[in-house]
Amino acid sequence: MSYEVKNVNGAAVVALTGDVDLQTSPTVRQKLLESLELHTCIVVDLSAVNYIDSSGVASLVEAFQVSRKKGTTFSLASVSSAAMRVLSLARLDKVFTIHPSVEAALSAQG
Amino acid sequence: MQPFHAKKDEPSVPDVDAQPLGEERDHLALIADMTKEFGAANDYKAVAHTALERITKYVGAEAASLFLLSDAGDMLVCVACYGPVDITGLNIPAATGVVGRCVISRKGLMVRDVSQDGDFGAAVDEKTGFTTRSLLVAPLAIGKECLGAIEIINRAGGDGLFSGEDLLLLETLARAAALAINNFRLTHKIVQQERDRHELDLAAEIQRDLLPQPSTRDFPIHGINIPARSVSGDFFDILTLPDGRIWFNVADVSGKGMNAALLMAKTSSLFRCLAKSAEHPGQLLNAINNELCETNSHGMFVTMVGGLFDPTIGVVRLANAGHEPPLLFDARTERFTSVPADAPPLGIAQDIAGQDGFPVRELYLAGGTLYVFTDGLTEATTFGGGMLGIDGVRALIRDHADQSPDLRLKSIAGAVKLPGQSLRDDLTLLVVEDMAIAPMGAKPPNASLETPADEQIVRIRVPARADRLKLIRAATEQAARFVDAPEAWTFDLKMAVDEACQNIVRHAYKGREDAGDIVIDFMRRGGALEIDIMDFADPVDPDTIRPRDITEVRPGGLGVHLIKSVCDEAKFVTPPPGVGNLFKLTKRLPTKVS
Repeated sequence: MSYEVKNVNGAAVVALTGDVDLQTSPTVRQKLLESLELHTCIVVDLSAVNYIDSSGVASLVEAFQVSRKKGTTFSLASVSSAAMRVLSLARLDKVFTIHPSVEAALSAQG
Repeated sequence: MQPFHAKKDEPSVPDVDAQPLGEERDHLALIADMTKEFGAANDYKAVAHTALERITKYVGAEAASLFLLSDAGDMLVCVACYGPVDITGLNIPAATGVVGRCVISRKGLMVRDVSQDGDFGAAVDEKTGFTTRSLLVAPLAIGKECLGAIEIINRAGGDGLFSGEDLLLLETLARAAALAINNFRLTHKIVQQERDRHELDLAAEIQRDLLPQPSTRDFPIHGINIPARSVSGDFFDILTLPDGRIWFNVADVSGKGMNAALLMAKTSSLFRCLAKSAEHPGQLLNAINNELCETNSHGMFVTMVGGLFDPTIGVVRLANAGHEPPLLFDARTERFTSVPADAPPLGIAQDIAGQDGFPVRELYLAGGTLYVFTDGLTEATTFGGGMLGIDGVRALIRDHADQSPDLRLKSIAGAVKLPGQSLRDDLTLLVVEDMAIAPMGAKPPNASLETPADEQIVRIRVPARADRLKLIRAATEQAARFVDAPEAWTFDLKMAVDEACQNIVRHAYKGREDAGDIVIDFMRRGGALEIDIMDFADPVDPDTIRPRDITEVRPGGLGVHLIKSVCDEAKFVTPPPGVGNLFKLTKRLPTKVS
């Protein structure tokens, strides 16, 4: 699993690539929480995620909850079919704000 | 006593008004007649009034009254009288006056001149304007008990003096009256008791209606309630939500009898009503506690286990307010796990819990059965005469583990409920079965290890570490491809195996660096892929039981949910010797479309 954090007009775009599993999810969790410290808008790009497990989903949920407490925005973008399968099985596809692309996510923030 | 002269065709009671005083009076006829009237009386007060009138006229007196001791025995109350002044309802202290003296001594008294009697109290005369000159008083005695007295006042005719004969007559009549009054009181008491019993029966019937209907065989939660008396202070309830999750509770109200039954009715209504909007048991028990505290008095309280069961993933979340610790029993390992109370009973103090409510524990049943019961079970008397105790409860659960839930409840309750005898305390018992993972106690050990798989595909053995999960997923993918499974099917299986192995890393081996191995067998059997996932850790127990912050996302719970969502079967089965746990996944292969 690899990740990349980009600053786009003040928003943080966190792009994840590969497998998010028990081995790698602690890193994902840490990066997301760090970004939440610095930015008021977080977009997680899941287009290159081949696999995400329950611990990875838990990291996303935690970040989502933190952002809600802070009143910032947190959304998922370009969710791969593998990630979408897990999110829908977990019934979280209706909980997260999901955009078809990173651009759509950013423009939704204005 | 005068001879009995009345003839059969004459009225049995002589016309006293017409009879000149001092002439022969027919005592026996009067006594016989009045005894009969008293004996047949439903309302002794009405008969007493008539009797007083007749005796007054018979002896040629001016007035008469009947006094009874109050319930407390400290006052004499006039319940009937005859004469120019109505003193019905008049109260006099029991130990005073001529009447008081008669009641205490239980002897008839004749006072020919009240002015010469130190006991005579003139207060009543002063109040009524009546002048008492002479008195005749007879006790209403039954054995050693004295109910009160009858007095006759002022003989009118002749020398104006009462005679010994008059006293004898009055005493005889007083005995008959005393018997009648006593009978009336006894009858009244029996009627009242009968009425109370009837009302208690009605209350018990309404209370039984508050309990849920017996569950059907395929329902995961079953309960039983046996009251010690007609009404119960115990109760349980089961409530299915539209999304399939099930609320349940078992509770015990302090005390027994009607007051406990009423508090039970109130608490069960609160449970039913508030459960529909509560998010978790901690919040629900908190809300019930606050409601009870607002109105509860008399120092009564309720112990309760409230739980929310998700049958699709076999997870129970429960809160325990001062209640007997529920037991989680795993028939495969015969292990018990106790779930102690984390909070005081309900109804004692408001706002004792924090914002999240009462502490909540999460239990993954993992094929086990949860038993929730009241102290009516643990403290029940056994056939041997001793108290059952928690060890006795465990033995009963073990002994009946292979029965259906409904029969098991009856067997356990039957072991402490002696035929024809009532229980010492109300008894309530509830079981939560993991239907997704059927209990394995009654079934033979895992058959797959005795009979060869239809086709062994691959067996892998890897250290149980997070950095090996990727290898496990790759092996799973390859095994699925080997049986020509489609991509989406393969992805789901990969996820299920990954989550199951992740649980071994995290829970069975508890994330230790020096953890043991995981062995995975991929087999094709019939039209399904079977995956046996084995570890060498201690049996997974109810170490899956851990207190949890409500707001926390449940990786464990979510993992199990994901596994069960995509597999046809996912269950712990009895492991072969030397293996700690064996978790078996079965996923049917899609039928090929040509």
